[in-house]
Amino acid sequence: MSAQGEEKPAPVLQLEGVSKSFGGVRAARDVSFSVAPGHIHAVIGPNGAGKTTLFNIITGVYAPDSGRIRFEGADVGGRPVHRRVAMGIARTFQNVELFSGMSVLENVMVGLHVRTRCGFLGAIARPPWVKREEKLARETALDWLRFVGMEKVAETPAGDLPFGWQRLVEIARSLASRPRLLLLDEPAAGLNARETRDLGALLKRIRAQGVTLLLVEHDMSLTMEISDRIMVLDQGVKIAEGTPREVQADKKVLSAYLGG
Amino acid sequence: MADKKERSGSPGQEPPEPVPAGATPRRAGLGQRLLPYAGYLVVTAGLCAYGLWADNYYYTQLLTFIGIHTLLAVGLNMVMGYAGQISLGHAAFFGLGAYTTGALTVHLSWPPLAALPAALAVPALVAFIVGMPTLKLHGYYLGMGTLGFGMIIHILFREWTALTGGPNGLVGIPVLSAGPVSLAGGKTYLFLVWGAVLLSFGMCSRIVHSRVGRALSAIHFSEQAAAAVGVDTMRAKLEVFVFSAALAALAGFLYAHMVTFISPSSFSFLVSIRIVAMVVIGGMASIWGSLFGAGLLTLLPEWLHVFSEYEVMIYGLVLVVVMIFFPQGLTRGVLDAYERARRRKTGAGPSA
Ligand SMILES: Nc1ncnc2c1ncn2[C@@H]1O[C@H](COP(=O)(O)OP(=O)(O)OP(=O)(O)O)[C@@H](O)[C@H]1O
Ligand SMILES: [Mg+2]
Repeated sequence: MSAQGEEKPAPVLQLEGVSKSFGGVRAARDVSFSVAPGHIHAVIGPNGAGKTTLFNIITGVYAPDSGRIRFEGADVGGRPVHRRVAMGIARTFQNVELFSGMSVLENVMVGLHVRTRCGFLGAIARPPWVKREEKLARETALDWLRFVGMEKVAETPAGDLPFGWQRLVEIARSLASRPRLLLLDEPAAGLNARETRDLGALLKRIRAQGVTLLLVEHDMSLTMEISDRIMVLDQGVKIAEGTPREVQADKKVLSAYLGG
Repeated sequence: MADKKERSGSPGQEPPEPVPAGATPRRAGLGQRLLPYAGYLVVTAGLCAYGLWADNYYYTQLLTFIGIHTLLAVGLNMVMGYAGQISLGHAAFFGLGAYTTGALTVHLSWPPLAALPAALAVPALVAFIVGMPTLKLHGYYLGMGTLGFGMIIHILFREWTALTGGPNGLVGIPVLSAGPVSLAGGKTYLFLVWGAVLLSFGMCSRIVHSRVGRALSAIHFSEQAAAAVGVDTMRAKLEVFVFSAALAALAGFLYAHMVTFISPSSFSFLVSIRIVAMVVIGGMASIWGSLFGAGLLTLLPEWLHVFSEYEVMIYGLVLVVVMIFFPQGLTRGVLDAYERARRRKTGAGPSA
């Protein structure tokens, strides 16, 4: 073992040579990278670069054509989406996917699914432990709403909220599963300047809870400010990776963004 | 200020009035807790009153049929209304329950109550086996898949003559009895059936207001997001499908021992559509709406003979109209339309 390897903590997430094509479109080409625990790790790149596809591969929505995905050392390649959530990988969606007709609180309670266990028969028989679990779930969900500042709309149908608030509820819902890795797909899209600033602070508070963040974001000032590391994708290929400063100075990144 | 009431989902606009966390939940909670009990009380009181004063064989039969149809509707409502999965073959489970108990009691002379576990288990098992591949489908494909399943089972009832009596049906199914006590006879059976209905309502409402029910509802709104927060969507859909099949099988059991004669036509495609219509008219995701839908669609053909002649056409029309204009079901749809009209009257502001 090299001295270098001992210094670095084991990565939370590790991708090795991941590729994925849709027909002729190669959305990910031999992508390898790893995310260190406690980091805010950003993925940036022009539209259609394959960022969301990468998220879908990590969470198990798509199976990669080749390559490996390790989460905390374990190969999660063959596991279905919900199993990966139970292991500690949570996500939000680029276009916010709340359960629109359910209340905000219920949305977050669904987020507690993997942390609770009442099944079909338990629901029908409703023994005392189920009642306790239900009460605890309600309180925990409210705590998460408080964490993102949305507890005052707990009983509102999620679909009635303005877009920016929906994003916060979605983050609370994803945190409810107590992930150790949280993937956020463009959390600042559609937010105004003040909301974006608050979001930056929220992401740091999430990291302080011991959650590692993988973040796709187009807002460059936010990304540069909060990220520990940045990876740049272009047409499915990783073209650069480093600290925000290193990435900003990279010529390939500039030309990818300027369409050169 | 008039525009303060308006809510908007676009990011640029003012957020909606925050709902104070203390007030609304308590009010909703109290209402939610009282309303279902009110329903149970009203139905029980109505049955007691009927048992004491009324004595009309025809109405007793009719009310019993409404109960049996309600069981079918509430079960399907769990699948369609709550989990959002269409099923156009529900009559198959109704029939499997009826034929299982029919075959066991007629051919093997089992006492009906001994046949009950099998009459529930066989359809539930079939639902499990059929559901595994079928529930992977979505939308129209799921509709087609379940429709095809219903047709196959219907053909089985017609062609497996040795067991089912074929197109002529199965005769001589015994009436229910518990030991020496006969449960036949109009009113006793009426109470038995409605006891089962109220029990099923209790079970369904507990499921709905639980972790399982929230997961089903989540699948309804976004299956992809439900999976992304950790719901095993396939398992949840399969469980509720099997549960609803068991309720339909119970309805089939009660039906078979009521009429003592069953034939394939009672479990045809038309019957599946009729159950769907009960759910849609009564209201998707409404347990008590199932009672309303089942009641209406049991009474209408009795009262309007025109109705039974054009039944298929009317159902088709009703379904299309309701699905397009009142996707939440007729009961809810009418309430919503009323609410919208009221709001338009009071809230017509300068912005319009
Ligand atoms: N399910 C799919 N079927 C076919 N093509 C797909 C699918 N998902 C993604 N693609 C294609 O893969 C490429 C990468 O898409 P992806 O959504 O990952 O990009 P992105 O980097 O997230 O872009 P954006 O910034 O616009 O969100 C695009 O060309 C897209 O059209
Ligand atoms: Mg994307």
